[in-house]
Amino acid sequence: MDSIKASYGQVVLVDNGGFFPMDDMHQDASWFLMDAMRVLNVDAVGMSERELRFSATYLRAQLKRSQLPMVCANLYDAKTKKLFVQPYLLKQVGGVKVGIFGLMSANVDLGPSKDSLRVEDPAVAAKRAVAELRKKGATVVVLLSQLGKVESEDLVTAVDGIDAAMIGHNVPLLQKGRMVKNTVVCYGGEQGQYIGRTLITLDDKKRMKTGDNETFILGPDIPDKKEITSLVKGFEDSFNEKLRRLEKERAAEDAKKVSQGAPDHYLGGEVCARCHPAEAAQWKTTKHAQAWQTLVDAKKDATPECISCHVVGYNQAGGFRDANTTPTMVNVQCENCHGMGTQHDAFRTTPRRVTEQTCRSCHTQQASPEFDFALFEPHINHKGVGTKQPLPVSPMKGQIPAGR
Amino acid sequence: MKTLVSRILATAMLAAIAMLLLVAATPSKGAIAEPDKLVILSTTDVKGMTSACG
Repeated sequence: MDSIKASYGQVVLVDNGGFFPMDDMHQDASWFLMDAMRVLNVDAVGMSERELRFSATYLRAQLKRSQLPMVCANLYDAKTKKLFVQPYLLKQVGGVKVGIFGLMSANVDLGPSKDSLRVEDPAVAAKRAVAELRKKGATVVVLLSQLGKVESEDLVTAVDGIDAAMIGHNVPLLQKGRMVKNTVVCYGGEQGQYIGRTLITLDDKKRMKTGDNETFILGPDIPDKKEITSLVKGFEDSFNEKLRRLEKERAAEDAKKVSQGAPDHYLGGEVCARCHPAEAAQWKTTKHAQAWQTLVDAKKDATPECISCHVVGYNQAGGFRDANTTPTMVNVQCENCHGMGTQHDAFRTTPRRVTEQTCRSCHTQQASPEFDFALFEPHINHKGVGTKQPLPVSPMKGQIPAGR
Repeated sequence: MKTLVSRILATAMLAAIAMLLLVAATPSKGAIAEPDKLVILSTTDVKGMTSACG
């Protein structure tokens, strides 16, 4: 980011919203990310229904505390009819007056705020926001859209005057953005692992002449900002301890529920190895056999959305609860690919083939963009050695030109 | 005496012009790199992730 700012004098940094965590246990991450965005001097932040999951009161308090510049042009207080946050921002960026506004979908569940807030038709709000921004002198107008892919594309087609649109809300990652009518659109990845770079070429009046977009993975080849790295580490060190404790309590409760009436269950790889020693020995040479340690090293061993792909049968009958109570169920073992051990008798009549789809349950495009089934499969198929090519070290390495 | 004053004035005038030319030729500190470009850096749907799973 710093190098881009050094190369280009006129840079805007935005977050499109949807940054609140997926579960209640991670609520602390919401205020931490707001603070981190302030440290990064983010110019504007969009919002989705996700930001309301801990209540509108909580979000209001955190916005007041952090002073995060959140925008949404179509979310209203149902009683007062006032906008929940500012509809847009007008920023002077070098010689360009940039207008940034946000939109969220009218077809979402507002959770605990469903009775107190109201979402206006995004197209109506967009026309009004664009007109006001242009009237106030914005020469470039940017939309932070949480409408998803189809609704966002329909909107920028129907509403004139939007130069660039950052699209979020379950949007498939596209490395190259594209022009939709007169708007350059960024389909930008998620979970903080990607950054979109939209390059707008301006005419003499500082209006958009052309636009181009590309999304980059924030791989290890892109150095972290020191200030942010120490901030994240400080937060994660203390937060992970809290998560471990909460996760243990939750796992104990879930174990009680699961153990009631579950005939099939996971057994663990040690049981399989009794009759399949060669396959077990080969498995030990794979990265699957160290999958848990990678989570521990990354301090994500108490993060549910990470755990399920690094252990056997997370929170399922006989499966992983926590590393202390179910130590034999860590790592990606036999049953992750072949199914529950207690269903073994059925394997002979209905064998479960390990296909690309099996791997893709964890090696998703978002979480594992470097995954290539043809390249990776020989490493885990128990058929011996000789045909294996080295696995890629860094996903999409070198995507961002040097110095940018 | 008059000649000396004239010379001093002329020298000062030349120095001032040279200074003005130099200032005009040097890019000012406030100059914007790539003034015909605007870059928007964006993230979306961070979903509470402070770093990757590992």
